[in-house]
Amino acid sequence: MTAAVSFRGVSRHFGTVKAVDGVDLDIAEGEFFAMLGPSGSGKTTCLRLIAGFETPTAGRIELFGEDVSGRPPYRRAVNTVFQDYALFPHLNVLDNVAYGLMIAGVPKAERRRRAEEALSMMALPGYGGRKPSELSGGQRQRVALARALVNRPRVLLLDEPLGALDLKLREQMQDELKTLQRKVGITFVFVTHDQGEALSMADRVAVFNEGRIQQVGSPEEVYARPRTRFVADFVGGSNVLHPGVAALFGGRPAWASLRPEALRLGPPEGARITGVVTAARYLGAATRLVVDLGAGAPPDGRSDVAVLVPGGHPVPAPGTRVGLAWDAEALHPMATE
Amino acid sequence: MSVLADSGPRPAREGVGGRLSDLLWRRPGVLLALLLVPPLLWLGVVYLGSLFALLLQSFFSIDEFSGVIDRTPTLKTYGELLRPANLDIIWRTVLMAAAVTVASVAVAFPIAYYAARHARGRWKALFYLGVMLPLWSSYLVKVYAWKLILAKEGIVGWGFDSLGLGRVLEAFLAVPGIGGNSLSVSPTGTFIVFVYVWLPFMILPIQAALERVPDSLVEASGDLGATPGQTFRHVIWPLALPGVVAGSIFTFSLTLGDYIIPQIIGTSARFIGLAVYQYQGTAGNVPLAAAFAVVPIVIMGSYLAVAKRLGAFDAL
Amino acid sequence: MTILARGASALALLAMLGATAAQAQMTEVGDGEGAVSIVAWPGYIERGETDPAYDWVTGFEQATGCMVDVKTANTSDEMVALMNEGGFDLVTASGDASLRLVAGQRVQAIDTDLIPSWSKVDDRLKDAPWHTVDGVHYGVPYQWGPNVLMYRTDVFPEAPTSWNVVFEEQTLSDGQSNKGRVQAYDGPIYIADAAQYLMAHKPELGITSPYELNEDQYKAALDLLRAQRELVGRYWHDAMIQVDDVQNEGVVASSSWPFQVNLLKADGAPVASTIPEEGATGWADTLMMAADAEHPNCAYRFMEHSLSSNLQSDLSVWFGSVPAVPAACSDGSGQQTQEGCDANGFQDFDRIRFWTTPTADCSQGEGACVPYYRWVSDYIGVIGGR
Repeated sequence: MTAAVSFRGVSRHFGTVKAVDGVDLDIAEGEFFAMLGPSGSGKTTCLRLIAGFETPTAGRIELFGEDVSGRPPYRRAVNTVFQDYALFPHLNVLDNVAYGLMIAGVPKAERRRRAEEALSMMALPGYGGRKPSELSGGQRQRVALARALVNRPRVLLLDEPLGALDLKLREQMQDELKTLQRKVGITFVFVTHDQGEALSMADRVAVFNEGRIQQVGSPEEVYARPRTRFVADFVGGSNVLHPGVAALFGGRPAWASLRPEALRLGPPEGARITGVVTAARYLGAATRLVVDLGAGAPPDGRSDVAVLVPGGHPVPAPGTRVGLAWDAEALHPMATE
Repeated sequence: MSVLADSGPRPAREGVGGRLSDLLWRRPGVLLALLLVPPLLWLGVVYLGSLFALLLQSFFSIDEFSGVIDRTPTLKTYGELLRPANLDIIWRTVLMAAAVTVASVAVAFPIAYYAARHARGRWKALFYLGVMLPLWSSYLVKVYAWKLILAKEGIVGWGFDSLGLGRVLEAFLAVPGIGGNSLSVSPTGTFIVFVYVWLPFMILPIQAALERVPDSLVEASGDLGATPGQTFRHVIWPLALPGVVAGSIFTFSLTLGDYIIPQIIGTSARFIGLAVYQYQGTAGNVPLAAAFAVVPIVIMGSYLAVAKRLGAFDAL
Repeated sequence: MTILARGASALALLAMLGATAAQAQMTEVGDGEGAVSIVAWPGYIERGETDPAYDWVTGFEQATGCMVDVKTANTSDEMVALMNEGGFDLVTASGDASLRLVAGQRVQAIDTDLIPSWSKVDDRLKDAPWHTVDGVHYGVPYQWGPNVLMYRTDVFPEAPTSWNVVFEEQTLSDGQSNKGRVQAYDGPIYIADAAQYLMAHKPELGITSPYELNEDQYKAALDLLRAQRELVGRYWHDAMIQVDDVQNEGVVASSSWPFQVNLLKADGAPVASTIPEEGATGWADTLMMAADAEHPNCAYRFMEHSLSSNLQSDLSVWFGSVPAVPAACSDGSGQQTQEGCDANGFQDFDRIRFWTTPTADCSQGEGACVPYYRWVSDYIGVIGGR
């Protein structure tokens, strides 16, 4: 099957700044794909390259097997939901949604019908006469979605779609977006700096750093088996072990990751590794402990690890010496970058 | 000395100044009133008052025989305003103001667009300097300079001649209504100088309006399939329109009221400003001058009403 | 220059007025009060600040201790308004303001016996009607000049003998039409120039004074001016603009002041001026003393100074006018020479019809003449091409 979006050695340089540097990537049709990374990592530039707002300095970009590298945005079958929604302030909601249809020359009656349909799908029926300034943030987001989807694009691009919403609304929208994607069945590519959002929504995640892709994989892969130290740090959760500490756990003397839930507490007597509990954080379903291994702080790493104690198990008080047990296969060595 | 020891938490402010500060701190409304009353008085009494007095004058008339102003209310002066010679002045002025406004938009828009959407850092500073610089020099100096530029033996004529286009200029100047003996004594000359002098007043509001249009709107329009031309028509222009209207209010009303440029450049044919100046200043016909002065007010009022109806302020 | 109409209606009061003014008159000039303030046209009171060679104030201040304070005004109306406000001692009033000031009791009669140099005043001006009412003098003549016909000598090898070069289309000596190459004055008073031209060329109209026109005469003058509109590229009202137009716009003939002619000559431009056979209009100014002058002694001293010092001679050079004291042309009191005076129109006094403001009541009868305010609106129409 042809990929919906594919990057072949794509770079985008701004002067001496390499915003995107030699990226290869394939996004399958119908996939919910997340681009994750800190600001300035190149993820947004990649999105803009797909949309056509930027042209690659080197390499080629294909949409459904067709080279679109130099093609302007208005000749691409993709639509974008902007971070600030970019609703036209001088048009009412209905005209905003029908904008793409008007440009395409769809007759007035039909574009009105389709725009209202799109608004209904986004649970905004009857809002057509309002101005964008009269809507709440969540409503604007839905209008932006309706405006993009009404054109029946083959790929929908979302730039930090939930960034401007408050926490509760964000969680609600995460579910809605996921449902929506399944319903319309097209490729969604969304950019975020929030690893929780990426992991919970996407079928696959690409982690960006300094213009390059560090790892592409399912949320489970990226979380459990980070390929690089950066991914482990950024995706978070996992313990990133200094080569010396990794050796203590029986691994190769290389950087490694170890999930907190793979560690189990036991009595210090007879344990291969012991440590002292220094902090505890109650998370509801579990408690997260920090255990100092007392191995002396390596120069570029930590000598403490996080341990997740499932609910119902006894939680030792800070200062208690504990022993640690783990599954050997949970220890995951990483590339050094 | 127990200066330090005696002071409590903080010494009370003594004197009128201190008490005034305390009062103003407790009642911000008083401060606001103090700040606003003088300008409001100025605006209300001096500005609107004189405007009203002017309006009142236009309902007086001048006695045909003695030239004395008759203070019984009448519409006679407005009737006089409709005399062909005076209607000529009004039409001439309105046409000129409209032409100047349209040309100013055409010239100002690309400049403002570049400044708002492309120029950064040093280039932007250069832009502001370039637009504002002409405003720093005396208006009269500029107009006199243009007189020389447009003169029969001035640089424009010379330029046309040396390009072998002297005949083109001559043919243009032979067109009745816009031509004349030279550019400097033609309505075209007046037009050119008006456009030059008022251009900054058009550029700056358009630029300000365009600055407020986020890049993402332009991208969104392209993303939704619009070519750059369609984006301009459906997004940039409507959003820049309040700026264009603001600028056109400047260029239009400034042209309606100006009485210096038509005195120096052009055919000596009167414009409203010049007519007001002359009727009021030299002829002592204050009622007719007042009636003339009402014309721009009426024109601007209707212009704004039309602009509002066309949705010029929807994006505000 | 404006509503003299109002002034005229008040003329009836003048007999009575003369009597009251006479009572307030001084009998001798005492010590100066240390100051004198004057409302004047720009360039009339020079203290060497514009050009060090033209200074007729410093000497006066040193000799009398009266410090001169000048307020310039650009129109006759402004002058009248300033004098109505009060606070000034003297004013250099033109013929279209002077009678208004007299009628409005803004200026007082003066005793010529207190001005020793009065005898030096040009006899033609001593009793001129613009400052003498019923034999009472309301000021000392300051200066006067004609509105001459300026022409370019390279286009007119000989001086034109008629104003027709600016009124009628014709082919000039260089083979080209005068169309677009002549100018006319941009002031309603210029209608008088047209009327004066008609006095000579259409005697059947019966015009006796170009400032007193009945409806028919007035209409004929306007028709002449409408024809002239076709010839005129731009009307002039600012002397410096006219100088520029002669140099850069190809203007070859126009009504003008000796002031511009002298400026252009000094610049080496091939121009000269003449007073054609039809005669010329002109202006005459008078130094008048405010009715409530605070510094009458200094004012009298300045009036004397205006006649006896270098003022007359230097001012006439500076402004291109004719001094009110004929001796100033030749006595070496300043830079003026007899040739200069002649060039500025000294010999042409009798051919000049001095500006006065047209009023409805005139020698042709009460309400018989077209008043000035109509001159204003109609001349605007003419220039507008109607």
